[in-house]
Amino acid sequence: MITLGLTPLLETERLRLRAPGPQDWLAALAFYRAPRSRFIRDGVDLTDGQCWRAWCHIVGSWVLRGYGSFVITLKGSDDAIGLSGPWHPIDWPEPEIGWTLWRDEVEGKGYAFEAAAATRAHAFRDLGWKTAVSYIDPPNARSVALAERLGAALDRDAPFPGEGPCLVYRHPRPEASA
Amino acid sequence: MIALSGTPTLATARLTLRAPQAGDWPHWRGFAMSNRARYSTGVCDEAKAWRAFCHVAGMWAMRGYGSFVFHATGSDTPLGMCGPWHPIDWPEREIGWTVWTDGAEGKGYAFEAANAARAYAFDVLGWDTAVSYIDPANARSVTLARRLGAVEDPDAAYPAHNDPTRVFRHPKGAAA
Repeated sequence: MITLGLTPLLETERLRLRAPGPQDWLAALAFYRAPRSRFIRDGVDLTDGQCWRAWCHIVGSWVLRGYGSFVITLKGSDDAIGLSGPWHPIDWPEPEIGWTLWRDEVEGKGYAFEAAAATRAHAFRDLGWKTAVSYIDPPNARSVALAERLGAALDRDAPFPGEGPCLVYRHPRPEASA
Repeated sequence: MIALSGTPTLATARLTLRAPQAGDWPHWRGFAMSNRARYSTGVCDEAKAWRAFCHVAGMWAMRGYGSFVFHATGSDTPLGMCGPWHPIDWPEREIGWTVWTDGAEGKGYAFEAANAARAYAFDVLGWDTAVSYIDPANARSVTLARRLGAVEDPDAAYPAHNDPTRVFRHPKGAAA
């Protein structure tokens, strides 16, 4: 079996966070096709081929970077409910902590907060990051609320990927948020 | 360091074929952003080159197979890539090849690598057939497909976003 090899596992009170794999593809595809992914695709409908490439980018980024975004699962089930963690395409100004929840029914339970807090701690503690941002589409009010709940603050001077508009939230370092 | 695990390594007379690694990125970047990529990925900016190579690496985990990076045995410098390739929106599975630098061209490396990767697809992966999608302007790849014993299949479908494309079909068991 071909895998990403020795990737880390993170656990929180309710969640298990692991590297992405082929078992997550159909859930990822359903998310990309759903209205709830509109904020991460500029509102543009993606073809299945574009979804495949986006997902392979997420998987392959682990190999190129040595780190990547974690699939979020509930303890006791391996089913993916979202994705969170370190993310840095080569053309982005700086490394990001990202998050997505893939189904309506897993929203509103604090899972994204729990996952993002754990993957951010991993980035600072294990990857040695000195800073991290989250890039958020301005109409994405739930993600703005989550960034603020995570203690991140709007950084109006920070560059962002693409044409924008884009809100850049900068995360506090662990000693500041402790 | 994160590396793909469980991937095969193939050896030919002169070459080693292995799964892509993080250290291949600058070599791929040089290729993908050069005119040499005009018939495959198209000449990329850095952002597209990055996504294309993440797609290459990620496909191994997704499909259980993927394209091999090849280098001269005894050297770590990648010369190109070849082998099984199947994005989800392509009509069928391909044996592809790219040679990344001018200096690596004209030495028969792509033939040697593609021949080994094709044998792997048929013998180990159990493929029943395979094609190579080639830009009509890419005369060198057309020549290589024929040298590999592939035959043009004018009725075969090809990826919709790659129009026009010539499709060469590899006969199973016709290893060169």
